[in-house]
Amino acid sequence: MSTPEATSEQDETLESLFEGYTPEEQTLLDKIQTFLYESVYSPFLIMWVDWRTRVGLMILLGFVLMGTVGPRVVERTYVNHGPYTQPWFQSMDHPLGTDRIGHDILSLTVHATPAMLEMVAGGAIFAVVVATLVGTVSGYTGGKIDFVLTTFTDIALNIPGLPLIIVLAAIFEPERAFLVGILLTINAWAGLARAIRSQVLTIRQEAYVEASFTLDMPLSYIVRRDILPNLMPYILMNLMEMARHVIFASVALYFLGILPFTTHNWGIMLNEAYQHQAHTRLDLFYWMAVPIIVIGLISVGLILVAQGMDRVFNPRVRARFDQSKETSTEVDNV
Amino acid sequence: MAVTESSYSTGSSEDVIIETHDVSVYFEMDRGTSKVLDDVSLDIYREEILGIVGESGSGKSMFASALLDAVVAPGKTSGDILYHDADGSTIDVLSLNQEELRAFRWEKVSMVFQGAMDSFNPTLRIKGHFIETLKAHDFDVDEGLERATDLLAQVYLDPDRVLSSYPHELSGGMKQRVLIALSLLLDPDVLVMDEPTAALDLLMQRSILRLLENLQQRYDLTVLFITHDLPLVAELSDRVAVLYAFQFVEVGPVSELLERSSHPYTRALLNAVPTLQTPLSDMEPIEGSSPDPINVPTGCSYHPRCPLADERCIGEEPPFYATEHDDHQTKCFHWEDAISEIPLAHHKSTTGSSQIVEGKQSEEPVLTLDNLCVHFENNNSFLGLFGESQTVFAVDEIDLDLYENDILAIVGESGCGKTTLGKASIALQRPTSGEVQYRGDDIWAVKDGRSESDRSYSAIRRALQIIHQDPGSSLNPNQKILRTLESPIKHWKSDMSQTDRRSQIYGLLEYVGLTPAEEYAQRYPHQLSGGEKQRVALTRALLMNPEVILADEAVSALDVSLRVEMMDMMISLQNMFDTSYIFISHDLANARYFAGSVGGRIAVMYLGEIVEIGPAEEVIQNPKHPYTKVLKWSTAELDSDASQEELPLRNIDIPDPVNPPSGCRFHTRCPEARTECRVNSPKLEATDDGDGIEAHQVACFLDKPRDHPYWSSDQLVSEDNPTLVE
Ligand code: SF4
Ligand code: SF4
Repeated sequence: MSTPEATSEQDETLESLFEGYTPEEQTLLDKIQTFLYESVYSPFLIMWVDWRTRVGLMILLGFVLMGTVGPRVVERTYVNHGPYTQPWFQSMDHPLGTDRIGHDILSLTVHATPAMLEMVAGGAIFAVVVATLVGTVSGYTGGKIDFVLTTFTDIALNIPGLPLIIVLAAIFEPERAFLVGILLTINAWAGLARAIRSQVLTIRQEAYVEASFTLDMPLSYIVRRDILPNLMPYILMNLMEMARHVIFASVALYFLGILPFTTHNWGIMLNEAYQHQAHTRLDLFYWMAVPIIVIGLISVGLILVAQGMDRVFNPRVRARFDQSKETSTEVDNV
Repeated sequence: MAVTESSYSTGSSEDVIIETHDVSVYFEMDRGTSKVLDDVSLDIYREEILGIVGESGSGKSMFASALLDAVVAPGKTSGDILYHDADGSTIDVLSLNQEELRAFRWEKVSMVFQGAMDSFNPTLRIKGHFIETLKAHDFDVDEGLERATDLLAQVYLDPDRVLSSYPHELSGGMKQRVLIALSLLLDPDVLVMDEPTAALDLLMQRSILRLLENLQQRYDLTVLFITHDLPLVAELSDRVAVLYAFQFVEVGPVSELLERSSHPYTRALLNAVPTLQTPLSDMEPIEGSSPDPINVPTGCSYHPRCPLADERCIGEEPPFYATEHDDHQTKCFHWEDAISEIPLAHHKSTTGSSQIVEGKQSEEPVLTLDNLCVHFENNNSFLGLFGESQTVFAVDEIDLDLYENDILAIVGESGCGKTTLGKASIALQRPTSGEVQYRGDDIWAVKDGRSESDRSYSAIRRALQIIHQDPGSSLNPNQKILRTLESPIKHWKSDMSQTDRRSQIYGLLEYVGLTPAEEYAQRYPHQLSGGEKQRVALTRALLMNPEVILADEAVSALDVSLRVEMMDMMISLQNMFDTSYIFISHDLANARYFAGSVGGRIAVMYLGEIVEIGPAEEVIQNPKHPYTKVLKWSTAELDSDASQEELPLRNIDIPDPVNPPSGCRFHTRCPEARTECRVNSPKLEATDDGDGIEAHQVACFLDKPRDHPYWSSDQLVSEDNPTLVE
């Protein structure tokens, strides 16, 4: 062991090393400001530069408004609300037309939105969170835990999705929209979990992960700081993908009549239009077109945001952003 | 005495094979035009070996690409590149069309790129690669394969075995040699090699250079060898051209350059390289860094780093001056002064004198390895049903002590188990059997809760740190340096205020030469150079005040000229923090520099075993084990007429550690091996040459007295690779 004098000597040299540096003490307010700047403001600006994110976010924002404010503004429709099968763009009262029994199509679309969003969020978040948890934990810890989780994932992966959903839907008859969402992604997470696991296995080999390990940093730190940021672009892309999956799956299943018709849904609209041969009759075309356009639009919005998100996690883009901020403030100062 | 304005020309032209005039390579960028090769002119003679030396980012790879008009878009090449064919015709390289260029690149001038080892198609056998190349150029396949067999034998490979292997079955050194053979398949006249050996260990590098020399003579080749490692090419080349800041600064015959180099940069480069002979105190790093292509200094581009710079150098660009020797030219105003003002360290060589420096190591070991073994189960069978699992003996029965303030350098080839031994010593790798003790406590017992000691595993964990080899992956690319360094302190010293924490970090960063520290702290890893990343990694390792730092090839990825600087810094931090180092390297000269400066030890490892260990200077100057002598041979000397001795090995590839050879594991390659070596394995024992240095131990029968059975047994001859000793 080193002698006491040696230690104090060492401390002195160390002390002299740190002299001359007194970074200003940051107040709580400063810290909050730095946090907001680094975690909210600058990522947002970085995303905003990309036209894809701008357009995508606008579209998604439109849908959120439609789901929250929409139902309050647009009156709930009822049977005989308007004339039967009036095409779109004919009257101001029913701009998107009416169906066979006089429902206003605009109102149907808007009132289906809240449930739809709830379902999408429920399904996508459930699948991605489960996939990330399972994938990271099994990839990082290895050993027995890995074995159990991988087996579980493989089983989920190999059960055919559609029959499973049909059976579960028949047993549980889910009514809450977010439960429907979860049901729709009940085994969709497995593929993602596998992909994440194999990526974690690669990242685990990186020297900086080993360095964190030798510093005895807690597992939560290593996962949060060293592993997840590398996966974030991938995870977010999959979140958007999963959202689209939920939309398409729900539309398809409502259309086929497999899910109970409990809430308004664009799939139900499609189903009704189809029941009345809208796909073969040109004069009823609008009835089918409205839900299709809405579904297409939200899907495009999700894709665009997913593509633009990539930038936020790219350190090169972030560094360039920092630099451009510096130079512009310098210019401001002059 | 100026020859021409800023260009280099030669007197005669009849024996020139490639002529270059005012060649530039540039990129248009938002920030302006970036010239990564600036109006260079150089003639390459027929059948010479020309070494081109420069630091990373000096434009040397661009020169190679330009010769083949292979600069990748959006880069543009301008100037004249003329190729004089043997039949007297001349080809203007920059005006060739795609089809002509394709033929030119393989049949006239062929190239081995940096990192080309990864360019093999993993699903194609080596034979397939040769056939594809032959077919693509309409050559006769059978004739071509015959030539391939001949070429492979020339590079010390077993042609039949190699041709039928898949790329992944070959080691890095083998792949590189296959590539050389492949590039010579279509009988080119010129071979351009861009850092062909950078990823290999020193012994393999030297072996490849040696066989390159043979190839050059046998096939009448002109060889262009591009590298950052001046001593490496010095031994091989006829002429050397030194590149600095995108221009040639000195060109001349190699003996001239080594003995009477007249450009301050060349002299600084020579002094910055660790060798086995230069007195340690005379090596010095080059201050400063090479310029950015956007922002090349005015006048002589070397003036910010040059000790002789004056007003004129800043304002005016120097022309080429001819020195007394006809073919030796220098781009410096003060070349005559440079020779007297900047003495060359290797001129004062002190061969043979082994002075032992006393370190301030304590008696009590920090780490003790006791009969340590690490074996890997190499299980590539399907469900364990088909094929048997194989055991790799990575580390076998090692006993070792590491003291406070100690330095232990572990030296050996890739695949000798040195990294595994290093990681096992700092408890990153669980041993198969044996113990690793930290101040008397078995680390793995503490971790598993089997120990009565009141020392916590976490404390031990933090006391043993690591610096990795690859600067590219040593830092988390997603966070700024500040965050990387701050998080461990936040976690372990949570009572420290943010101010103290940051001042500690900034102080350390400043100390390792990253100034201004506050600015560096705000950078992301990709904004740092390789050397800077390694310094941050060093800073991180020091945050916890560790007892031992494992430096796993920590300087090998850096340019030769930066290595001394990095090692100096690590040593000076040792004094400040009272740490010990385990320094892993394939380069005996680096090991000597690092361990020798503070009286540390060098351990030489071969196939999982330590074959020689002792005080650094003693092992270097007085090596006992034949393998140590081989490693010493592989370390280039800065001496133009140095050893032309034959390769002191019977086989240049290291055997597979899955089935290590019986007896002495080195017997398959050892030039001194006798039948006794095949049967019995020597123990690591103190040498008995009566110099009283107890700590010098060796595992070889050669060191045994004359009555040992070794001396009466027969010499082993190398029946299985007759190509090696011709
Ligand atoms: S010209 Fe001047 S600055 Fe350039 S190398 Fe010579 S002395 Fe140094
Ligand atoms: S024991 Fe024999 S084979 Fe081994 S190094 Fe010594 S002489 Fe060579």
